[in-house]
Amino acid sequence: MMNRVTLRKTVISCALLAAALLFAVVFMSLLGSEPLPVRSSLCALASFGSTSCGLTSDQFDILFQIRLPRIVLAAAVGGSLATAGAGYQALLRNPLAEPYLLGISNGAAVGTMIALVFFGANEWTRPLLAFTGALLATLAVYRLARGRAGATPERLILAGVIVTTFLSSVIVFVTTLMDATRIRSFTFWLLGDLSGTSKAMLPVTIIIAIAGALTLTLNARSLNLLMLGERDAFDLGVEVGRVRVVVFLVASLLVGSSVAASGSVGYVGLVVPHLARLSLGSDNRISIPAAALGGAVFVIVADTIARTVIAPRELPVGAITALIGAPLFIYLLKRA
Amino acid sequence: MQPSQHSRKGVQALLSRTSLKLLPACTLLLTLACASIPKTVPDGPLTRTLTDDAGRRVVMPARVDRVISLAPNLTEIVFAVGGGAQLVGRTSYCDYPPEAKSVAAVGDTMHPSLEPIIALKPQVVLISTASQLEVFTQQLQNQNIAAFVTDPHDLEGVFRSIEQVGEILGKKAQAATLVQTLRQRTYAVEQAVKQKQPVRVFYQLSGEPLYTAGRDSFTTDLMRRAGAMSVTADVPGAWPKYSSESALAAKPDAIILATGGSMGSANSTVIEALRQSPAVLQGRVYKINDDHLTRPGPRAVDGLEEMARALHPDAFK
Repeated sequence: MMNRVTLRKTVISCALLAAALLFAVVFMSLLGSEPLPVRSSLCALASFGSTSCGLTSDQFDILFQIRLPRIVLAAAVGGSLATAGAGYQALLRNPLAEPYLLGISNGAAVGTMIALVFFGANEWTRPLLAFTGALLATLAVYRLARGRAGATPERLILAGVIVTTFLSSVIVFVTTLMDATRIRSFTFWLLGDLSGTSKAMLPVTIIIAIAGALTLTLNARSLNLLMLGERDAFDLGVEVGRVRVVVFLVASLLVGSSVAASGSVGYVGLVVPHLARLSLGSDNRISIPAAALGGAVFVIVADTIARTVIAPRELPVGAITALIGAPLFIYLLKRA
Repeated sequence: MQPSQHSRKGVQALLSRTSLKLLPACTLLLTLACASIPKTVPDGPLTRTLTDDAGRRVVMPARVDRVISLAPNLTEIVFAVGGGAQLVGRTSYCDYPPEAKSVAAVGDTMHPSLEPIIALKPQVVLISTASQLEVFTQQLQNQNIAAFVTDPHDLEGVFRSIEQVGEILGKKAQAATLVQTLRQRTYAVEQAVKQKQPVRVFYQLSGEPLYTAGRDSFTTDLMRRAGAMSVTADVPGAWPKYSSESALAAKPDAIILATGGSMGSANSTVIEALRQSPAVLQGRVYKINDDHLTRPGPRAVDGLEEMARALHPDAFK
């Protein structure tokens, strides 16, 4: 249903962002605590790992077994969170709606922690319970935010603050159920950490990220109409109820899978969709796919900083996204 | 008490004759008078001052018979120097020796609970810097409870902690004997591995995320004494979060997993990045009780012996 101008704009901007993503994947994999020979690494990357191009077996393993999986995970997490943020913002008609600020990440974190405490050995329970937690948190925020006058922006943010702080207390409570030696790892994970890339879960995270971004993009026209108001959207033929359920489910799934993989990486869902709308306009058919690709680039860059700036030690990536995200967001607010 | 009442009467008489301007001087006099009284008490001075590892001068009673420990290693030290009967409070992490579990728990090392601590009326609270409790230490001091901080960075520091705790509890002789025994055992290990080529070791404190022992950790010193060369010996900090690619690039010849103690079965496998390391290929992965390697107390020497025997089995035949 896209007119030619919109279609062309979508294709061009997505192609440019996809190129930026590829560039980020390749060049950020050259950076790390251990220096790798640039030319050989590029050659090995270009051959998709089929030849070593003179890299030693350790260098080859660092590049393909450690860095690349972590960068791909960063892309999946960043894409998921930015897409979820764009989805919530369109559905709730509030530019401040964001998984982290609404407490949805915290819901997913509680789910993951429960999975870790009670079903520690079974990795599959983590994204499952994280999804459940995210969904419950989303429903709670939505129900709290909807007063008689509808979901006003203030009410929504207030509901988010309440859900966030409540779930933070639940997290503190769950940590007391853990033994001392594990708490340190959890505080680090809670801040968002990509170092624990699990080979088994990586494909799941990637598939959910791509499928989620595609689903929301396909619903972008309905979301555009929803932004006019639910009554108007309904009059224009949008199945409001169905779209709402789809966005809630997809966004919760995206947040759940990324939190289960990497903890709560904040500000991605806020900063990236804003940046996409400011530069490309508020048409969701462009801004949602653009946010997905931009989020991937943003988290890749943030994680590269996290793992190199005090190398060989590491910082949690969430600290970097917040350090970049918060000032950037204030700047965007002032400019808008 | 007799002399105190006499001197107080004297001061009161003095006060009544002097103007209010002299009050500060009189207060000073009173303080001096009181301070000089303890001379008559048979036990000697009522208070003493000890310098702790944070460089603070800690004033505490000369005789301490109620003490609280806020870290597992300090609880172990208290019992090891024979001061278990003086321990009135411990943290929920303090599980060794088994007798420690019958002592009242006052929260955990990170979150001790002030009210039960005050209710237990300790004279001294022993704190480890791992608990990072600046504010808490201040609160204790406001309650007139001495807070003594320990912060060992090597085995010598652990011995010093034992001597300090011994001195606080009036168990100086027991502490000295204990330290002497521990020194002998340490010396025996060092002699046994002296001629051995140090093994390049990676210490895995936890796998997900990856933590190791750095420059400021006593475990790094233990490894050195056990005939090992930690590949992370120069990394700043005590327990840094470490890059897995740097661990891989270091090509350790042996890996030590801290597991089996409080850690339970956690951290009992080598991280994915090190699966192809020389250590794993040569089968040189050693599980050592994490309580011996992470608690700077008397059992650190057990950890030293266990590591040395694992790394250099032929040196102990």
